[in-house]
Amino acid sequence: MGEARAHQAIDEAFSAIERVHALMSFHEAGSDLSRLHAAVPGERVILDVQTVDVLREALTLSGRTDGAFDVTVAAQLVAGGLLPAPTSGSLPADGACWKDIDMDDDRSVSLRRPLWIDLGGIAKGYAVDRAVDVLCSHGVGHACVNAGGDLRTLGEGPHRVAIATDETQPSHYPVIELGEASMATSSGRAFSTAATGPHIDGRHRSTMGLNQSVTVIAEQCMHADALTKVVMAMETQSADLLRHYNAVAYLQDAAGHWTQLGVST
Amino acid sequence: MKSRFLLIPAYALVISAPVQATVYLSVEQAQALMFPGATFTPDFVTLTPDQMKAIEKSSDVNVLSPDLKVWRASTGGWFIADQVVGKHEFIPFAVAIDAQGAVKAVEILEYRETYGDQVRNASWRAQFTGKTKDAPLKLGGDIQNISGATLSSRHITDGVKRLLATYALVLANQKS
Repeated sequence: MGEARAHQAIDEAFSAIERVHALMSFHEAGSDLSRLHAAVPGERVILDVQTVDVLREALTLSGRTDGAFDVTVAAQLVAGGLLPAPTSGSLPADGACWKDIDMDDDRSVSLRRPLWIDLGGIAKGYAVDRAVDVLCSHGVGHACVNAGGDLRTLGEGPHRVAIATDETQPSHYPVIELGEASMATSSGRAFSTAATGPHIDGRHRSTMGLNQSVTVIAEQCMHADALTKVVMAMETQSADLLRHYNAVAYLQDAAGHWTQLGVST
Repeated sequence: MKSRFLLIPAYALVISAPVQATVYLSVEQAQALMFPGATFTPDFVTLTPDQMKAIEKSSDVNVLSPDLKVWRASTGGWFIADQVVGKHEFIPFAVAIDAQGAVKAVEILEYRETYGDQVRNASWRAQFTGKTKDAPLKLGGDIQNISGATLSSRHITDGVKRLLATYALVLANQKS
């Protein structure tokens, strides 16, 4: 591949990521989510097909995890100061959850009760997937798209990826040797002294993962990204779901011990 | 999903650089590191009692096993995976020998003992590069001793000496 062609592929991959950001940003006015949050309950809002893709996948995961994974935890993140409060629309109703999001077979979505959706736990992985699609369509055979915490590789590598576990004094450094796959890491350790971390268990709406580090490897980065939150919430009970996605997880607990879950590698 | 999880001890990263030198290597990884881009054909050898005696005489090192795990590199040269005794445990290591019979590189594949893993230090291992069967390979002579890792460094040095003798007496005469 020539240099000009490679630059074109890379530029288009960045554009694909910017497009996902513009559509699914929590706080940018005009994003699909902002339009949805501003709508009155029951009002149908036509969303972009990509937003619909992500939302549908999120709701599928909510169903499979009994709500442990829930994109409507934005209310708790706003309360904890981790997201800015939307300026238009109603405040979220108490107890509103993923079951209050109504999706048709087409691209229209409505909310049964006022609620705030944050796709921060899944959309970054989706953006990485779209960038990789673009690179593939240009015939790129070897690449790594790294969005910081979420990455996907092209080519068998092996790609050596060190995991930042945010431990204060680690005795060991974890490293993953990755073939062609996606990998995501989530940890709340940087927030361990704060009351609220960036990860909320959808079932009881409380902060989780303040002393954990979770890495998931799956084919699609959207799945790897979202499954880190599932593993954080459900720990060993997430093993079946990981296998369903042909994924493997490495979970480090507060004491620094590692557990492998999901498909065996 | 093809992946492999490794835990690298933090102290190993402090002691030696580059990072690759501290990773516990599989045979395949060591091959790729020592002969970049080459493919490998296994050419495992079982030494005869006479060959073992000749190697011992030439290197002044005991031969522990008649089984020799050898691969030919497509780019020329040989890759040998072997082991020596450390203090209590075996130390699996690998030697790459170039087409002229000189050491290209030495890698420690695994280190199981509590002390003495300074033999994984890249600059210590680099002392072997270019050595042939005619080199003295004496600890404290042409190979520096590592204080605190005397046994491991002596046994690795002896192991390289033994494998160079093995190369000269056995491998160099093999038909390709």
